[in-house]
Amino acid sequence: MAGTEVMRDLQSAATSHRGDRIFNRTITALAFTALAVLAGITVFLGAQAVPVFQTLGISYLTTTAWDLTTTPPQAGIFGMLYGSVLLSVIGLVIAIPAALLLAIFMVFLAPPALAKVLTNVVDLMAAIPSVIIGLWAFYILNPVAEEWEILLNQYLGFIPIFQNNSGNFLGTPFIAGFVLAIMMIPIITAVSREVLARTPPELINASESLGGSLWTMLRYVALPYGRGGIVGGIMLGLGRALGETIAIFFVLKIVFDTNWYQIIESGGGSVASLIVSKFGEASAGLEIQLLLAAGFFLFVLTLIVNVIANLIVSRTGRLQR
Amino acid sequence: MTTMLFDSEKIQSLRTQEPQHPWRRRTPKFTWSVALAVVIPALIAGYFLFATAIPDPIVIIIIYLPLQLLAAGVAAAVSKGKNGVADAFIYVLAIGGSIFSLVILISLIVTLFINGLKAVSVSFLTQNNFYISPSTSLEYGGVAHAVLGTLLIVFISMLVAIPVGIATAIYVTEVRGRAVPYVRFFVQAMSGVPSVVAGLFILTVLILTGAMGPSAFAGGLAYAILMLPTVARTAEEVLRLIPEDLRTGALALGSTRARTVLQVVLPAAKTGIVTAIVLGMARVVGETAPLVLVTGTSDATVYNPFNSPIAALPTYIFGNVAQPFPDAVTRAWGAALVLIIIVAILFVIARIIGRGKVK
Repeated sequence: MAGTEVMRDLQSAATSHRGDRIFNRTITALAFTALAVLAGITVFLGAQAVPVFQTLGISYLTTTAWDLTTTPPQAGIFGMLYGSVLLSVIGLVIAIPAALLLAIFMVFLAPPALAKVLTNVVDLMAAIPSVIIGLWAFYILNPVAEEWEILLNQYLGFIPIFQNNSGNFLGTPFIAGFVLAIMMIPIITAVSREVLARTPPELINASESLGGSLWTMLRYVALPYGRGGIVGGIMLGLGRALGETIAIFFVLKIVFDTNWYQIIESGGGSVASLIVSKFGEASAGLEIQLLLAAGFFLFVLTLIVNVIANLIVSRTGRLQR
Repeated sequence: MTTMLFDSEKIQSLRTQEPQHPWRRRTPKFTWSVALAVVIPALIAGYFLFATAIPDPIVIIIIYLPLQLLAAGVAAAVSKGKNGVADAFIYVLAIGGSIFSLVILISLIVTLFINGLKAVSVSFLTQNNFYISPSTSLEYGGVAHAVLGTLLIVFISMLVAIPVGIATAIYVTEVRGRAVPYVRFFVQAMSGVPSVVAGLFILTVLILTGAMGPSAFAGGLAYAILMLPTVARTAEEVLRLIPEDLRTGALALGSTRARTVLQVVLPAAKTGIVTAIVLGMARVVGETAPLVLVTGTSDATVYNPFNSPIAALPTYIFGNVAQPFPDAVTRAWGAALVLIIIVAILFVIARIIGRGKVK
């Protein structure tokens, strides 16, 4: 502790130097760039949302439509916001078990050499740009997933979520959710692997010496210990999924008609993909403003998810140290 | 003190002992039952896969997986007693889950190489797309203009994000002002900004206001928003590893704070800072959505970063994916292969540098 005090004295003595004051101020100013950017996004995109609300009112958030030829123009992104959440939920249902099992395998079961290889594999998976995953999904995953969906519909079609009335099994929320799962798996795996690997060895040894098996150790030691970190990792993955744009653009048919639960029916919604898909044709001021307002709500949504995720992760990190 | 009951060093070594993992202990009976539990379900599933018309996904999920769980459970019950059954299930599920992820990744990489190599040739790597239409055959045209565009945009983003990112890290680890927790919080929040939102922001500020048209500069600024948090967080971790003695030593020798940071701390952290930069580049190089919004696209090679739409690898792929012409799609695969190789090179560089640092 004495060290930090000495350090503080030295710092206060040293900052009396004029060059140091300039240095400190420059660095401090630059350090607030992150805040400036966040504030800038809020102000500039938020300002674009204002005229949209003046024209359309709250119906922009509560209805699903995109017809600008009528007067007054009709536009609403409820289906898109709901679609983003639905796709993320589908993605999470696939990604959470896959990522947790992979993390458990890497930490507790795999031989160290294999675990090292798998760590690199997960990093590699996280590094693949989403446009490439989209390309792959469009040409390679689509036909395979179509086959799965037809089987699901054939044998489980009596369950409402597996209904399909159009006979078109492409561009479905299921495929888009599966693509999101591919992007979430490396994030959730990386965070889970780290927290599980930090389970104190003495707790594991204690569990073992009490006659615990692998299952009891996981159930009563490792998973409760890492729970906070795992939840945070899941939230980080969710934040990534909500903002994912390009890959979804290729595999989801965007329709302006809220698809509530039919996950293997063609057509769904996603705010981020909406922006890119409508941007090319957007010419007039209003349509651009509608897209910017959509971007604003996407920003707010992901910001909330990410802040919660980071709070959870950093809190558990502190507890475990 | 002299009659210590326990040797504290020994206790310490026990405390930090690696877990023994008793479920890994093997007996001959165990080995045999595991071997049988692997082979028998595989044979049965293989019969259904190849000798019957039942669709493959149904065989794997309805027949193979339950059968494998049952076999593993029986094997565990025989060799380890009933406590082993749950463990056996975990083994099967964990291996299955890992294979699921691996299959996806291998499929991605393999199809990328198979399809991409069809397009890649010397001309593909050295020519631009100027006289090329989507239906032009693959002998002509290439991605050189897109590679140059990507490099230019990433370079511009580095000019912005690296100084600011490193300054942010210096603020957190060296200046240690009162706002440190807030700065770290904002950087973390910024790392969650979706790439499409970063693009929209630059679009609003630069392009819709009429300050400039779609250009590499606008793309570089959008990339900088995405790159900054990666650089700042990695650089912060690196600076934390620099021993405090170096700082106090430099100050004790009469150096100012600024000189301490610039001439002692940063040089000591040189390789780590480079790693942070490389990771930042790898983070942004494949981002597509912001470029679709703010750089436009071009078939010609563009050198001017300010007043012309410009091509980049991600937008080149984006524009070619859904074309109805097979050769255009093959171009997309080729460009994707080039892009993933660039990303891989960046990661290998970061790894090599990072390894040197640990020693």
